[in-house]
Amino acid sequence: MTFFDSLIILVFGLGLVFVVLIALCGVISLESKLLEAFKPKKPAEKKPVEEAEEVPEATCGELKLIGVEEKTAAMIMAIVSDESGIPLSELQFKSIKALD
Amino acid sequence: MTYSLGETIRKIWELSGFTALTWQELVMLLVSFVLIYLAIVKKFEPLLLLPIAFGMLLANLPMTDLLAPPSDGQAGGLLYYLYQGIELGIYPPLIFLGIGAMTDFGPLIARPSSLFLGAAAQFGIYIAFMAAIALGFTPEEAASIGIIGGADGPTAIWLTSKLANELLPAIAIAAYSYMALIPMIQPPLMRLLTTQKEREVKMEQLREVSKLEKIVFPIIVTVLCTFLLPSVAPLIGMLMLGNLLRESGVVDRLSKTAQNELINIVTIFLGITVGSKAVGEKFLQPKTLMIIGLGLTAFAFSTIGGLLLGKLMYWISGGKINPLIGSAGVSAVPMAARVSQVEGQKANPGNYLLMHAMGPNVAGVIGSAVAAGIFYALFGK
Repeated sequence: MTFFDSLIILVFGLGLVFVVLIALCGVISLESKLLEAFKPKKPAEKKPVEEAEEVPEATCGELKLIGVEEKTAAMIMAIVSDESGIPLSELQFKSIKALD
Repeated sequence: MTYSLGETIRKIWELSGFTALTWQELVMLLVSFVLIYLAIVKKFEPLLLLPIAFGMLLANLPMTDLLAPPSDGQAGGLLYYLYQGIELGIYPPLIFLGIGAMTDFGPLIARPSSLFLGAAAQFGIYIAFMAAIALGFTPEEAASIGIIGGADGPTAIWLTSKLANELLPAIAIAAYSYMALIPMIQPPLMRLLTTQKEREVKMEQLREVSKLEKIVFPIIVTVLCTFLLPSVAPLIGMLMLGNLLRESGVVDRLSKTAQNELINIVTIFLGITVGSKAVGEKFLQPKTLMIIGLGLTAFAFSTIGGLLLGKLMYWISGGKINPLIGSAGVSAVPMAARVSQVEGQKANPGNYLLMHAMGPNVAGVIGSAVAAGIFYALFGK
């Protein structure tokens, strides 16, 4: 094989690699568009404002912290929630006091 | 019966391997020790380099007959039988099955133009092919040497075992060594061919790819690639089967087996048998040095090809594509993508190119398999 023949193989081979991968690129793009077009439409989500109106107003009362920083208190509440298996939103803490 | 201690020692000495050891085998044993050192201490692709090095060690121990074919009703050596997995082209596609099961093609599906970079990064394969022809290699040998530039070990082994079996150890060792050296080979070229401004480009987040797209992808790739180029069926077919096992979500056990136990077992067999072909008399030739040199050329030009197309895409996209992801088009998953990430962050600490580079990276796997298929179609028997 001459050097010129190898040059032809370079052009032909690299060209063919590009042709195959360009074809693949086209088919993947087409596939994505088709799947997107036939994707079942999700029902329109309720407006957050409406949801907010439906939720009854609730307060957790006031939490007294005695000798405890807010950060530590948040951690304690999270641990209690996790250990007891009760969601934090359903727990009510009245006070957290540091023991001597 | 007379007993002579001296005579007994002489007989034991004559029957031992020491008397049969040639200088070539001794050199290969030393090379195997160096490779074992590099695998264990330097951690250069140890998963493959360690079995390769040990295979080399075993094959160069004299009088073991591990590689002997069966003759006169006697069974052949252990490594002869294990080698049939390479000879018959079984191991590389099985490795591809595991790679497919481990690969997330999501980044490629999200940005299909990554495939162009995967194609451009095959440039080095053809440059090395031309250089090898100029140096007097046969077209079959030149094709096998060129495929080192694909930076894909199983593909290089698959093609070489079909076209130029005798070059297999040199090509496999060169391919895996350079893959391990990617963090050293690519960065200088990346910095040389890109400007600071280009390297700083932050790319937009990729869109989310649906599960259905991921399931359809391997089927489409298999059908399209095999129709266009039937010779790539063993590699692309198994790569995509592995990916379908992963993405279908209904054969978790098969997917896990493909990406763990199966690929590990095949890697051991592949490594030890490739190494076992590095027998002193055949390996210690000027050709081996030329292959190592040409392999580096192939790697460098593949990186350059990917970077240059990356620059073109940067220009066409109005500066939205960071050209550094182009160098990841040289397969070597995920090492090449990591190099793009590291270089991108050096230029701009807030730059996260990893997922963007994974697209060209996995496209490179497909690209190098296609390039191997083309060579096989041209020069295969």
